[in-house]
This record gives sequence, C-alpha cells and structure tokens, in this order.
Amino acid sequence: MSPSRDDHLGPPERDALAGEYVLGLLDGADFAAAERRLDTDRDFAASVERWRQHFFAIDATVTPLAPPVDLWSRIEAGLAGLIQPAVASSAATSRATMASSTRFADWWNSLFVWRGAAFAGALAAVLLAVGLFGALDRAKRQPLMVAVLLTEGNAAAAVVNTFADGRVEMLPLQSIDVPAGKALEIWTLWDRAVGPRSVGLIDRARSTPLRLDNLPLGNGQLFEITLEPATGSPTGRPTGPIIAKGTTSQRL
Amino acid sequence: MLGVAQRLLKRRALAEEAVQDAFVLIFRHAGRFDPERGGGLTWIYAILRNRSLSILRDEKRTETSDTPIAEETASEEDDPETVMAKLSDASALRACLEMLSPQRRGLVLLAFVQGLTHGEIAGRLKLPLGTVKSWIRRSLLSLKECLG
Repeated sequence: MSPSRDDHLGPPERDALAGEYVLGLLDGADFAAAERRLDTDRDFAASVERWRQHFFAIDATVTPLAPPVDLWSRIEAGLAGLIQPAVASSAATSRATMASSTRFADWWNSLFVWRGAAFAGALAAVLLAVGLFGALDRAKRQPLMVAVLLTEGNAAAAVVNTFADGRVEMLPLQSIDVPAGKALEIWTLWDRAVGPRSVGLIDRARSTPLRLDNLPLGNGQLFEITLEPATGSPTGRPTGPIIAKGTTSQRL
Repeated sequence: MLGVAQRLLKRRALAEEAVQDAFVLIFRHAGRFDPERGGGLTWIYAILRNRSLSILRDEKRTETSDTPIAEETASEEDDPETVMAKLSDASALRACLEMLSPQRRGLVLLAFVQGLTHGEIAGRLKLPLGTVKSWIRRSLLSLKECLG
C-alpha cells in the first residue's frame, strides 16, 4: 500500500480507489485498507455505493441460474450453525441435557434472531418502497379518457384508453373474425369536416398502441374499427363494414 | 445471485458455496445494513461479490490442479463485448462505457465480470502492470465524469 492512500484522498483519487474496490481489483493489503476506509470515510463509502449501483447493471445481465433444490436447506443449515454456537456457549455445561424450554429462551435471547428480525424489517421497508413506486407508476398509467367501442349488437368489442403522457392504446375485449387478406383498421374522428383519420392497423384483435401523434384528442371523440384490406384502406377513408365504434369519455 | 457467483467462480460447486456463505453473512451483518448509505439490493450483491472474490482468490492460492480456475472456460457469455451487448440500451453505464476505447472498456469489464486483479489482467494481456493500473484508473475517472 502506498502511503498516499493513508492520507486524505482528493475526490479523483477517492472515486478511482472506490471504483477499483468495487471492480474487485484490489487484493491483500489494498483490499483490507479499502474495507477499513469504507467504515471510516463517508465520502468514500458514498462513492463505493454509487459505483455499485452503476456496475449492478452488469450483474443484471447474467443469465439467471436455477438453484439446486438442496441449496436452500444448506443455507438454512448454515444459519442454524450460526445460531448453534451462541446457544452452545451460553449453555455449554448442560448441552446434553438442554431442555426445549431453555432452547426457546436461548432463541429468544439470541442476537441473531433479532438481527434477522431487523433484517426482515429492512427488507419490508425496501419492498414497501418498491410497492410505493409501483403504485405511483400505476397512478401514472391510469387512463385520462376511455372509449368503449360497441358492435352493432351493442356488445363491447374493445376499449380505447388515452393517457396523460399522450399515449393512446386499444385493448380488444372479444375476438373479431378477420377473413384472410383483411385487417382491422382503427380510425378516429374529431371533426366531420376533416373526416376520419387512420390511427392503427392490426391483423387480428390484439392490444395495440394507436398513433395519434399530432391529431387532436378530446372528450366525445369518435373511435371506430373497420374491416379493410390487409394493407389498410386504399382510399385513406374507411371503406369496409364498421366492426365497432364508440366515443371517449373523461374518467372521473 | 447464483448466476453472478457462477460468472465469477466458473465452477458450480464454488458458486453455490458463495451464495450459501453470502446468506450467512447477510444474516450476520443485517444489523450493520444502513439504508441511508445505499440500497438493499446493491448491499446484498456487494456481499455476494466480496465472498465470491475471496473464494476465487483462495482457490487460486491453493490450487494444485492442472487447470487453474482462471483459465477454466471463460465462457463466451463473459466476454467483455458480449456483456456490453447485453447491457440495457437505457443504462447510463453502457452509454459511458461506449465512450471508452474497446481495449480500455475491456479491462474494466474483465475486472468486474471475471474478478481479475490488476496483476492477473496484466498477465493475461501481457501488458506491464503499471500500464494496466493507470489505464483502468483513467477509465474509471472518465466513467465517473460521464456517469456524474
């Protein structure tokens, strides 16, 4: 270890050393020194954490391996081995005659149990945080406006959802017969003077994003699905029979 | 977790040992986990990596077999450019790694993916140790600047 590493490190040296540590390049004394620094130098610890987060992207590329069935039981045995010595030392004299009640008391007094509980708590906090982000994300994914497209027989065939970020999607609610060589084309109409515009073409009933790009989108706007040639309507206007249609309504 | 350990240790039995040890260490050090200092996932993976690296180094030290672990099938999957290709397009790390020359990028990835030390990289690539150290150092500093 070079003496300069013992002194206070400037930011570039600190970040480089933290990077080397996270990459796993350090060996022997350098590694031990970095571990000590981790406990005493908050800036270094923060730099290490940032590197870990960045390089975690590489760990995430690994092909997941299914653990063998017995790995978990071995881990459990390992954890039990951790707890056993604590039990053994506190009851060394009467180990052979240890009653189940003292075993329980030892468990209850075991630091490991409480550490485990603390860890479970920390884990729960992490999961809650993840859940919260999920909830926020879902809130973002709540549609702003919804149109239910009905068939001539008033059966709901599909819904169109519009979102705050400008996305529009169509989700089918029932399968639609599409003859060979035909496709389903989705149209929107906001102004009769302009006429309907094509916003999507699908080969069969499936969820699809709709391309509204710069087209206006408002309450009471018509969406409809028509049956067209496989390459889409040749005229740019609906030519085939209307499969389903509906208008948008604001979500409460 | 097993996949990460396997990538570093190559041998399945050692990888399982590393995962098992990591769980014990996580359990034992749970009290030391400080959420303010970092995420739980990076903490768990740091423990796993450290354990894997120390197994790797012990194995290398005591190894008597004819096929040293370091030369054991470094599968194509662990090749730096393959890893690069698998990194998500969206990741800042990928964008920043792309700014390095392929050779320097390779050094950084080789260290992380295969757990090689400065000396091992120098030996494998037949470069002077000082060169390897300073290249990696400079690569880390440009990465740092790029990642912010």
